[in-house]
Amino acid sequence: MTDIAAMGQTTKDTARFSQGSRMVGLVSRAGLTLAILAVILYGSLANPVFFTAGNFVNVLMSMSIVGIVVVGMTFVLVVGGMADLSVPATIACGAILSLALQPYIGPVPAFAVAVLLAGLTGLVNGVLVGYVGINPIIATLGMGTIVLGIVQAAVGGVIVYGTDPSSADFVKSRILGVPMIAVIFIAIAILGNFVLSRTFWGRWTIATGGNYSAAQASAVPVRAVRAGAFVITAFAAGFSGGLLGLTLQSARPLVGQGYEFSAITAVVVGGVSIMGGFGSIPRAMAGLVFVQLLTNVMVLQGVRTPIQGFVLGLLIAGAVALDIALRKRGVA
Amino acid sequence: MASAASALHMRGIGKVFPGVKALSGVDLAVRFGTVHAIVGDNGAGKSTLMKILSGAYAPTPGTIEVAGTEVRMKRPADAQKLGIRMVHQELNLVPDLTVAENIFLGRMPRRLGFFDRGGMVRRAAAILAELGAAIDPQQRLGDLSISQQQLVEIAKAYAAEPRIIVLDEPTSSLSEHETAALFRILRKMRDAGIAIIYISHRLKEVLDIADEVTVLRDGAMIETRPASGITAAEMIRLMVGREVSNVFPKTPSTIGRQVLRVRNAGDGERFHAISFDVRAGEILGLTGLVGAGRTEVARAIFGLAPLTSGTVEIDGAPVTIGSPAAAARAGIAYVPEDRKGDGIMPAMTVRENISLPVLRRLANRFGRVRRGAERELAGTYVRKFSIVPPDGERRIGLLSGGNQQKAVISRWLATDPKVLILDEPTRGVDVGAKAEIHGIIGQLVANGMAVVMISSELPEIMGVCDRVVVMRDGRASVPLAREGLTEERIMALATGEESAEGEAA
Amino acid sequence: MSAFVSTLLRYRVAVILCLTLAAATLIVPGFASLTTLSLGLDRGSTIGLIAIGLTVLLIAGQIDLSVGSVFAVSGIVGIMLQPALGMGWAALAGVLAGTAARVVNGFLVVALRINSLVATLATMLVFRSVAHWMTASQPIPGNDIMFSITLSEIYLEVFTVCSGLFLVSILALHVWLTRTVAGRNLFAVGSNALSAEASGISAGRIMFLSFVFASTLAGVAGVLQSLATNTGSPVYGSELTVAVIAAVVVGGTRLEGGRGSALGTLGGVLTIAALTTAMEFQSVPAYMQQVASGLILILLVVLDRTVRTGRRKPAAAPVHA
Repeated sequence: MTDIAAMGQTTKDTARFSQGSRMVGLVSRAGLTLAILAVILYGSLANPVFFTAGNFVNVLMSMSIVGIVVVGMTFVLVVGGMADLSVPATIACGAILSLALQPYIGPVPAFAVAVLLAGLTGLVNGVLVGYVGINPIIATLGMGTIVLGIVQAAVGGVIVYGTDPSSADFVKSRILGVPMIAVIFIAIAILGNFVLSRTFWGRWTIATGGNYSAAQASAVPVRAVRAGAFVITAFAAGFSGGLLGLTLQSARPLVGQGYEFSAITAVVVGGVSIMGGFGSIPRAMAGLVFVQLLTNVMVLQGVRTPIQGFVLGLLIAGAVALDIALRKRGVA
Repeated sequence: MASAASALHMRGIGKVFPGVKALSGVDLAVRFGTVHAIVGDNGAGKSTLMKILSGAYAPTPGTIEVAGTEVRMKRPADAQKLGIRMVHQELNLVPDLTVAENIFLGRMPRRLGFFDRGGMVRRAAAILAELGAAIDPQQRLGDLSISQQQLVEIAKAYAAEPRIIVLDEPTSSLSEHETAALFRILRKMRDAGIAIIYISHRLKEVLDIADEVTVLRDGAMIETRPASGITAAEMIRLMVGREVSNVFPKTPSTIGRQVLRVRNAGDGERFHAISFDVRAGEILGLTGLVGAGRTEVARAIFGLAPLTSGTVEIDGAPVTIGSPAAAARAGIAYVPEDRKGDGIMPAMTVRENISLPVLRRLANRFGRVRRGAERELAGTYVRKFSIVPPDGERRIGLLSGGNQQKAVISRWLATDPKVLILDEPTRGVDVGAKAEIHGIIGQLVANGMAVVMISSELPEIMGVCDRVVVMRDGRASVPLAREGLTEERIMALATGEESAEGEAA
Repeated sequence: MSAFVSTLLRYRVAVILCLTLAAATLIVPGFASLTTLSLGLDRGSTIGLIAIGLTVLLIAGQIDLSVGSVFAVSGIVGIMLQPALGMGWAALAGVLAGTAARVVNGFLVVALRINSLVATLATMLVFRSVAHWMTASQPIPGNDIMFSITLSEIYLEVFTVCSGLFLVSILALHVWLTRTVAGRNLFAVGSNALSAEASGISAGRIMFLSFVFASTLAGVAGVLQSLATNTGSPVYGSELTVAVIAAVVVGGTRLEGGRGSALGTLGGVLTIAALTTAMEFQSVPAYMQQVASGLILILLVVLDRTVRTGRRKPAAAPVHA
């Protein structure tokens, strides 16, 4: 490109950046908060049960399992890996194995092994996507099917039941009235936020997603960073699967179905760009809260499950379209 | 030939981009049945002019007449309808289709509703034979070499039976034999009445094939003369054309021992047998025309691309650079040419951009990046280099090009490198910032850093560098000393008018 | 790379198919029989019909994850409307539902320029929910159990209506891809959409139409499946996505576009069908079959990737300073 043409290009883009960005950034953040408030308002008005401690605790509990997955999924989206579709499999791995291995090695080691194996899936995903360069959707889809099959084969294809009541009690216990699961979830969310926003690894993740070649040219180990995001997600999903299994004290192979979509919806609605390079855990959490509250309101109002799914799908589509439209205008 | 009809007349063509005047007052008149060459340095405005002709841009202001009728073209399809065909430097081909299909892309012949493969292959074979190209029309395009693909691109334009054909550096990947064949066909086309516009840096070729030559410089048309009335040396003079004034003050520095030594480096594709060395306190200029391979060399030294032969030595010891991280460890830093693409992370702040390569160093045991230390680091550079606005928390995308560039340079200085490679450091930067950046570079060398500066701006190279290496088509001259070096000489080496001793021909 | 290996690679679809068939015949007793052939073909034709559509889409450089959901929705529509419209019209409505689904997808990708992966991810969820919604998550029975018997009737000892339809369609696709201008333009768009546009080919329109085509076929497959089992169920098709993509990839169609062939897909579908039939004969449980599909998909994609980087030619290298 000639000097002159290049100059023209740069000035153009800088202009775009300065005008829109500040305002739209504010709007998008404010928008979500407003939306959450709106849902709370509507819910309280529409149904007396909504604004009760009991209901909120319920919401918190259902949010926690998805929430742990959301923490991991955020990394995947921010690094530009689009989505991890092997989550149903890794959740099932966590759930099934943590229960099935209990009689052999005890509840805590069983849990640990289950999570570890889930993490192994993430490692394979990571290598495939980060180093071999395979499309992340295809890789995670394929790996998911494989892992799910292996896990089922390992337990003979039946539903697994828990045999250790003490672990169930632990998981269902409460600290200061807050369910243990929620406590664990919040802890993981805080840890995730710390890593993403304060450590060099998190910075590398954001940089890799923001501009892969620039990050590479800045000595960031881009391939390892991409792989790492998938490892993190797999661990998170395995962890939440284990918790799920302990809570339900039973695990069928399809136990994890749908979690990947809930997680992606939450992350995308929260304003994390599916193109990568932009987003944070708090944003994903805001999206999660919104989606969960909305679902809760719909459930209380008697809206049927499938319609809820429909609404969620629309939300994803809308949020992604909005993100892309914003991106085009040079606004992150 | 003298009374041939006017094929194309571009009058008073100007083109303004926001903040930049790319072209002004360019007049170009081409007649049917002639070959009209356009020459000019990087940035003279050739591509912009051609983009206007091909319909991709609209002239602001200016008029275009084709075959005597004024036309207004809004998009490339309009130009094509008028019989104007371009052969671009960046190939416009589809790798997964066959050669024949590519030649007839978008115009594939039909027979009874089905696609007439046999007929198409025959016609493609005929065209390729005319061009003297030994290419099988049924072969997959992506499997051909670059030079063969270029021939296919030319065949594609030719097959469309154009009235005006524009060729942009068509011989950059062709061998002598293929070039001769191309010229034969160009002459045939000329004799058949087609108007040919030929853009090239290869002045010998221009004199060979052209009937008329136009020289562009800094967006204006300098002169048009019949090819018989101009020599290569005169063309160079017109292309360069200014007083070599010392716009770039040279900061004195002591030149120390050798820091970087590149021996016989090649990547098997874009450059071969490159050797040079850089010493502490020295600025080595690396220049040449677009496509010569300068950035490729830099990227390979920095670990972004593989080196298939040759060695790189730092402080006398050979190093293997497999990645930018390894390069950073070895003390090599590289500021890329494409600021937007490889340089900045637009959504991140200035501070985050600057600290990127040294994050590990700034982090504590748990990996947490120490904000305080980071801010201090960024702040130091923001102050030292007068980055405006002096706010490390500003999104870097909001800064001007010059300030972004200063930030990118700061990023690498934070790694404490021994040798800094700058690729077009003042491109797209306003005059004030240019001076500031040169000031920064001057300070660095005064403190003993070795600097390699890749630049297309001859005054810059002349003013600032201690020695200059000129590259052409993937090969390099020996480092030339500053004394007695003229812009004309550099241009001559860059275009191949002069062959430097030590250069493998 | 030696000539032998490259020939092997070029005909790898046939090679893989033969290997699979050979292994199956050896391992599974009674595999090599006409009944097996017809069963396998019938089984495979469901995947096959969807795969035809997906092949077209992949060649154009796009992907579609929502085929499974579209499959379910069409089947449900086809069954649900039976009492109202009678079987024939209901079936047609089901197919049209499939087409409509893809109009949505096509719009999202072409008009709004959303990445096809993301768009179809979202529509996958939406359509699946629609399926659940329409049936209240219960499978619904159809009216005419007799028709399903007609559908499973075997002609010429080998073909059923489904498999016949599939074979005819795939041959038609082959002809279209290799012999029509539109077919070649499809490859152009998938290979390098910018260059295609620069040469006057309307990339957007081609992409849109491919989406519509793929979806219509998924709809047809869905309707046929529902008619055959006389049920419309919201969970149908969820396992199909991986199998279909695997079949198409085995058949040599690239995920990045520009390469592919109908015959290749035929080979891929046959391979997967042979594999699943063999496993069924051995009473291998369903989830293991899933593992197999997944494994094949991953292995092939990795193989494809490494082979490509191995012999990558510098096509149209960007000109740097």
